[in-house]
Amino acid sequence: MGIMFGSELMESIIALIMVSTFMVLGSKQLHTSVSAFQFQSFLLACIAGIVAFSTGRIDIYIVAVLTLIIKAILIPYLFVYVIRELKVKREVELFINISPSLLIGGVLVVISYYLVRSIGNNSQLSSYALSTSMAMVLIGMFFMITRKKAISQMLGILIMENGLFLAAISLTYGMPLLVEVGIFFDILVGTLIMGVLIFRINTTFETIDTDRLTTLME
Amino acid sequence: MIKYLLLAPVLTGILCLISKKQKQIEIINLLGSVATLLLGLALVISVFQDGVIVTWKDVLFADAFSAYLVLIVSLVGFATSVYSVGYMGYEIKHGAMDLKRLRLYYCLFHIFMFSMLLVGVTNILGLWIAIELTTLVSAPLIILYSKKSSVEAAWKYLIICTVGITFALFGTILTYYAAVQVFDGSEGAIDWLSLVSVADQFDPVLMKIAFIFVLIGYGTKAGLAPMHTWLPDAHSEAPSPVSAMLSGVLLNCAMYAIIRFRTLTAPSTGTEFTSNLMIAFGLLSVGIAVPFIILQKDYKRLLAYSSVEHMGIIAIGIGFGGILGISGALLHMFNHAMTKPLMFFGAGNVLLKYGTKEIDKVSGVVRSMPFTGTMLLLGGLAITGAPPFGIFISEFMVLAAGFSQGNIISTVLVLLFIIMIFAGFFSHISRMALGTPNSDVRGEVSRWTLGAMALLMVFVLVPGLYIPPQLYEMIMKVVEVLVVP
Repeated sequence: MGIMFGSELMESIIALIMVSTFMVLGSKQLHTSVSAFQFQSFLLACIAGIVAFSTGRIDIYIVAVLTLIIKAILIPYLFVYVIRELKVKREVELFINISPSLLIGGVLVVISYYLVRSIGNNSQLSSYALSTSMAMVLIGMFFMITRKKAISQMLGILIMENGLFLAAISLTYGMPLLVEVGIFFDILVGTLIMGVLIFRINTTFETIDTDRLTTLME
Repeated sequence: MIKYLLLAPVLTGILCLISKKQKQIEIINLLGSVATLLLGLALVISVFQDGVIVTWKDVLFADAFSAYLVLIVSLVGFATSVYSVGYMGYEIKHGAMDLKRLRLYYCLFHIFMFSMLLVGVTNILGLWIAIELTTLVSAPLIILYSKKSSVEAAWKYLIICTVGITFALFGTILTYYAAVQVFDGSEGAIDWLSLVSVADQFDPVLMKIAFIFVLIGYGTKAGLAPMHTWLPDAHSEAPSPVSAMLSGVLLNCAMYAIIRFRTLTAPSTGTEFTSNLMIAFGLLSVGIAVPFIILQKDYKRLLAYSSVEHMGIIAIGIGFGGILGISGALLHMFNHAMTKPLMFFGAGNVLLKYGTKEIDKVSGVVRSMPFTGTMLLLGGLAITGAPPFGIFISEFMVLAAGFSQGNIISTVLVLLFIIMIFAGFFSHISRMALGTPNSDVRGEVSRWTLGAMALLMVFVLVPGLYIPPQLYEMIMKVVEVLVVP
């Protein structure tokens, strides 16, 4: 792979994506987290746009547009809809407080950085993107297990998926279009089904706090 | 050929959704699953006669291992669709289901079949899409009755498996990245054949990280410990025919993915790396199942934990490697896929008649429902690895591989765990099957359910008595695909 146009621009956008991940992790209000996620998805669409522009491949333009429509518009809208319909409390409820979570997030970033450094034969840009995406996967997972509400767990999964998308687009310049469309379809349907399930949980348990889901303990 | 095989279940699903009457839906379901079975068998025959099939821009592809998975999926799918007619018919008659839900059930069931067939016949990225699709389709099947406990089980299932599958996608992307580096700039190939042909040139460190992510990711879906926590909930809360599909075939689909990635990883990292990881996860799975099986109070959870055990044994067999280990693991996939649905069918009949999932509240099934009771007893012997059933042979092969490779400690541990599970599991099943019936339950559920059980019993018994030359030849061809020099 040759040196890419705008790799400095890419690097700064990747840095912003990292910042947005910490915004999701550190905000006290649910809707701020959703906005941060929306911002992050928008940045990802920008990255896809740059890659498309520098390689001149039309299918990556399509991927950029799909990212914008599905991740930056449709899914955030779905979140706002669920929050409004279920009258979810605005403050997030968590098992670990904000400041220690941020600290743990920082540790996860350092771990991913060292893991990626051990892989040989990377360009600077790709190791930068890879460590950021691995950090996002880990932080998304950490976000999931420390939040009580079903809807926050859904947000955690989407952050993990954004991390994957970053790796896919910046390392391999996108995967074949058919595959990308399949992945988008899966994510969208998955989000919808989770949304429906959250409504089901709300009607059967009268709460969406997942620590109340204890019927099946052994 | 592959296209028609994939089209058949989708078409059946749509037709089920738009049919009006119960009879009509059931007939379409049966015809559809017969068509899927026949097309599946046709694919298997053509792969074994003419070799690898690649169609539709390299997206669809079938080699010996794909054909083996297709065989398992379509066989169990057929038996389950027959069983469903009896099971769901009983539920409708007693008002636990309505026509609207029945339509949805059969539609989702066939789409579920489609997604599992797709797992076998596509490339590394399509594989991820297919496995995610299986989660998305089966989650609504679990909450078919929308009980409190099944909503909880479905949420756990969806969340844990989606996280797992995200890990798997990360591993897949890293593998793809390794391939792009080898193919240098030109679009990296994503079909298994070209990847395997260059797998020895992959960056070993990258592949190590990729394999760990894939193993944890697909391992979650395959129910390997310690990522198995969703499995007992989902498999016990789902309607029994769905439990049969989840335990019997879906777990195998995830295991298929892990085994495929092993053939991409091992050439660059050496087999020791992949083997040690698989043996470790496998041992943990078999070990964790022991206490939960011995102390179990719920018979559907009992079966679910037994699935964790058997997935562990398959992982260990692949980990031991060599022709004996791999063929043992493959045969074990087949045997478990036939035996576990048989047990879930029996458990489903018991649940319908006795109305409880507690082991203590069920007794005398052999007297109240002679056929189901006998099947439960025989199936219980088969699933715990007693001769003369198939699982005995495949467990024996895996253990023999372990001893011959010099993995004495792990092999002895597995043997010990299997013996403890045998004692625990069989004491539960015999308590349920024997004795005097504790309520006025009389009579079987329906002929359909008995037919499905009888069909599976043939496949449970035959590999234990003698392995048909066709099956042997097939497994040897799959081993050729999977052995890493």
